[in-house]
Order: sequence, then C-alpha cells, then structure tokens
Amino acid sequence: MGRLPRWLARPLFYLALGVYAWLLVLPLLTLLSASFRSDADLYAPGLLPPRPTLEAYQEALQKHPVGRYLLNSLVVSLSVTLGVLLVSASMGYALARVRFVGQSLLFGFVVSLLLIPGEVTFLPLYLMVQQFGWINTYWALTVPFIAAPLGIFLLRQFIKSLPQDLFDAARIDGAGHLRILWHVALPLAAPALGALAALTFLGTWNMYLWPLVVINNSSMQTAQIAIAQVVSVEVTSWNVVAAVSILVLLPTLLAFLLAQRAFVRGIALGGLKG
Amino acid sequence: MAVELKQPDFDRKRTILKSPVRLGGETLEALFLLIPGLVLLLVFLVWPTLNAFWLSFHRENLLGTQRDWVGLANYAEMLQDPAFWRSVGATFLFAAIVAPVQMLLGLIAALMVARPFPGVNVFRTLFFLTTAVPTAVAAVAWGWFLHPIGGVVNRWLEALGLPPQPWLTSVELALPTLAIVTAWAGVGFTAILLTAGLQQIPEDLYEAARLDGASVWAQFWHITLPMLSPTLFLVALLTMLSSLTAFGQIHLLTRGGPAESTMVWVYRIYQDAFFNFRFSYASAQATALFLVLLLLAGLQFRWFGRKVHYG
Repeated sequence: MGRLPRWLARPLFYLALGVYAWLLVLPLLTLLSASFRSDADLYAPGLLPPRPTLEAYQEALQKHPVGRYLLNSLVVSLSVTLGVLLVSASMGYALARVRFVGQSLLFGFVVSLLLIPGEVTFLPLYLMVQQFGWINTYWALTVPFIAAPLGIFLLRQFIKSLPQDLFDAARIDGAGHLRILWHVALPLAAPALGALAALTFLGTWNMYLWPLVVINNSSMQTAQIAIAQVVSVEVTSWNVVAAVSILVLLPTLLAFLLAQRAFVRGIALGGLKG
Repeated sequence: MAVELKQPDFDRKRTILKSPVRLGGETLEALFLLIPGLVLLLVFLVWPTLNAFWLSFHRENLLGTQRDWVGLANYAEMLQDPAFWRSVGATFLFAAIVAPVQMLLGLIAALMVARPFPGVNVFRTLFFLTTAVPTAVAAVAWGWFLHPIGGVVNRWLEALGLPPQPWLTSVELALPTLAIVTAWAGVGFTAILLTAGLQQIPEDLYEAARLDGASVWAQFWHITLPMLSPTLFLVALLTMLSSLTAFGQIHLLTRGGPAESTMVWVYRIYQDAFFNFRFSYASAQATALFLVLLLLAGLQFRWFGRKVHYG
C-alpha cells in the first residue's frame, strides 16, 4: 500500500483519464466514423473509415430535409429560451423585489409547480392544443413552455441575493420597478440568465415525447424526431442515419463547446435548485 | 438561508426610503410583471394538471367524442391489468440499473476532474460532453455501437471468442441494454453535479489528513464520501426521477419491444393514448406515475430540509 512515486503517478493518472474519456466518447466516435463510410465500407472493421467519403451526407441531405428539421428545432428552442428569460425575469423580479399582497403565497405556489412532471400534463395539454388548432404548428412547440417554474424560481433566488443598496439607490433616483428591472436587476443577473438560457435551450432541443405527438407533418418536425423517422426509413443505411445524427448533434455540441461555463452552471443550478 | 435572515433589516430600510417616492403604484407594477407569466402557468400547467385528474375519472365512448363519468373504474382496471404491472416492474428495474451505473460512472469522472491540473478543461469537456448529446443521437450512436454486424461491442466479443449478443432484440437483454444507454447519456449530468459537490469540500480537510499521513483511500472514505453524501443523495434521486420517465431512447431503439419487454410506464401511457385511443385510461396511469414521482420528490425535499445548514 505504499504511495506511488510522483514520476510514475502523473503519467498513470493521465493514462487513466485518457482511457476513461476514450471509452465514454467511443459510441460517438463510431457514429462519426459510420457517417464517413460508403455503403460498401459500412461494415469494414476498424474505427477509421478505410476510404472516407461524404456520400452519406450527400444522400442524407438529398433524401431528407435536414436543414428544415434543424431550422424547426432552432426556431423552437430560441423562441422558448427567449420567452422563458422574459417571463422568468419579470416574475422572478416581482417575487423578489416588489411588495404586494400574497407575495409569499404566490412564491410558494410557483415552487409547488416545480413538482409537476411533463409526463402528467401532456395528455390534457394535447387535447387543449388540438382544440386551439395548434397541431403541426410552432405554437404547440413553444407557447406551453414559456412560463417555466424552474426559471422563475432560479431568477427570484438570484435577484433576491443581490445587494439591497443598489435597488435603494435606484429608488432614490426615482426609478420605477420596470426601469430597475431593466437597468439594475437584469445586467447584474447576467450569469443567472446565461445559465438559464443554456439550460432551457438544451432542454427544448431535447424534447422528444411532446413534438412526437403534436407534430405529424414532416416539414414541421423537430430534428430529434426527424432522426426517429430517418431510422425507420433507412433501416439498413446506417451511414445515412449516422450522417443525419451528426448534423443534428452539431448545433448543441457547438453551443456546449462555446458556452460550456453557462451550460455547466445551468445544469448545476437546475439540479441543485440554487 | 443567511440571506433570508438578513431580510427584515433590509425591509425596514426599504419602507422608509420607498414611501415618499411612490405610493400605491407598486401593486399595479407587480401585476404588470406577473400577469403574463401567471396566465401562462394557469393555462398550460395548472389547468392540464387538474384536467389529468378529471380525465382519469371519465371514459370516452366508442366514437371518442364524449366522456362519461366512471368514478374509479379506470384505476380499478389499471390495478387489475397485468400489462400495467409488467410496465411498472420494467420501469423500476430500468431505474434500478440506470441509477447506480450512472452514479458510479459520473462519480469516477467527477473525482478525476474536480481539482485542477494541467489540461483539466479538456477532460472536463470530454466528461461533461454527453449533456450536449440529444437523446435521439445518443440512441442512434448506441444502436450502431451495438449493431449485430457492424457494432464494435459484438466485434470485441468475437475477438474474445464469445458469441455476439442480440443486445436490443432479445427479451432478456433489451431492457438492461437500454438502461446502460440511458446511464451513458446521463454521465455528463451526474459528473457536473458531483464535480460541483466535490469542489465545495474545503481543501484544508485534505491537507490536515495528509499531515496525519492518511492514504488516498482513507481520505476518500473518511472525507470525500461523507462530505459528498448530500450531493450524492440528491443526484441519486434526480437520476431516479429522470429514469422513471425515460421515453425517447426507448421509442427510437425498441418501440417498447421485443414482446413488450421495454414497455415502461411512460411508453404504455403513450401507447394507450395515441394507439389505443384510451386517453382517460392513459390519464389514470399518468396520475399514478405522478403520485410515485411526488413521493420520491417529497423524500428529496425532506432531505433538503434536514441538510440545508450543511453546505
């Protein structure tokens, strides 16, 4: 049980890290490899494609409106994110900084809504959306998710934790709540807003059950569900399926790489609830 | 908690400052800020929740146009339905595999990258990466990884002289396989939360232990594990909750089969509502699922109440 000498411990540590990271990412690497294989090479052994080609991507883009699917997902995810930020900021601010009758009661109500899972509401919500005539529209994919209890809760907690003096100073200058919200609270809440935006964008991009039931028109389909359709059409062409999947993965992967801090913060906040 | 305690002091200062500036308008401004969100919450969250209960006490006629009150008939049918119980069993078996596997994989990752070292950011990115992978992409990646002919896993088995396995097409293997896929997809999430938890453990505890000559193992068992236990418990519950409602990867890879072996709770709700057109019966099952999730969430809140002074 003696301790390893330092010159040996370091390389061993990096080796362990490398092997672990390699194993975790391997399923994605094999998918990437499949997307660069021709039909003939699809089952050839080895991680690297023997003759890398863009055939699968060309076929994918020709046969499936992948661009349209990505556009749908992007429109929906960005709209929901923007809506969630607006509603969470205004409600969160009101619950943290404006005094009105029943404030704590309302806050308790919002917290209790955190407990309602989407799997319970989606059936009645479907019937409602159907009555509104929203089936196969962006409305169905966005409007129901704009008021998010988690977002309201996170921003209320964050705004409440900001120093009171700043708000007093603004008040003495004669600023109303709307101006304080816009010029004082929101700039200070930028890290919380960024984290919430990342969390919401990812969550919306990842929606599966809901778009599956409210969209049955191919041109309105989100990228995730489109993959399921492509899989059922291209039963044997795994290289085409892989190409579509890689194209769908790229936007979230890029967003994650560019804003990793916001994503990590968002997930940590969302999980630990503040 | 500390913020809450200081609050009354702030409030006193605030009323003194506020009253001359603005009177009575505050409620109006509050309404302006609150009403849009409140309306959305009521229409798209509260009303559907109440409606889920309402639906579960009704039953549609053959045309699906009218719903008649049937009291607890849907629940009675559900409790006597062996298919429902098979789904409940599959769901809990699924969660019982996902949670420990995902926790362990995430903990290993978090332990390696919680403290800084040269190149730590590269490995954090790689370990947290699965959070950026949409469910459908994760499912497809594993569908190919486990492919009967082209899949890497079966190639490995062959290289070891073992027979290839029908991972997703056998009644015995499909559910555990899906659980592993789900655990893999959740590793990033678990690793992020556990890394945050590990970083809250004060470094001096380790320094003191090292001065006392404690081995790495001793430090892990006597400092890391106890100090991390609130986070571990929370992450375990979150993992349980999310795996109990897994759907996308199952829909994409097995569609509930083979022979309904992966027909988990949510999948059966989906199936009953949209293929058997029994919305009310599906709603009763959804309500029952809600109760189970509430029970688990209640456990989480109780734990929080006890541990809040801890961090």
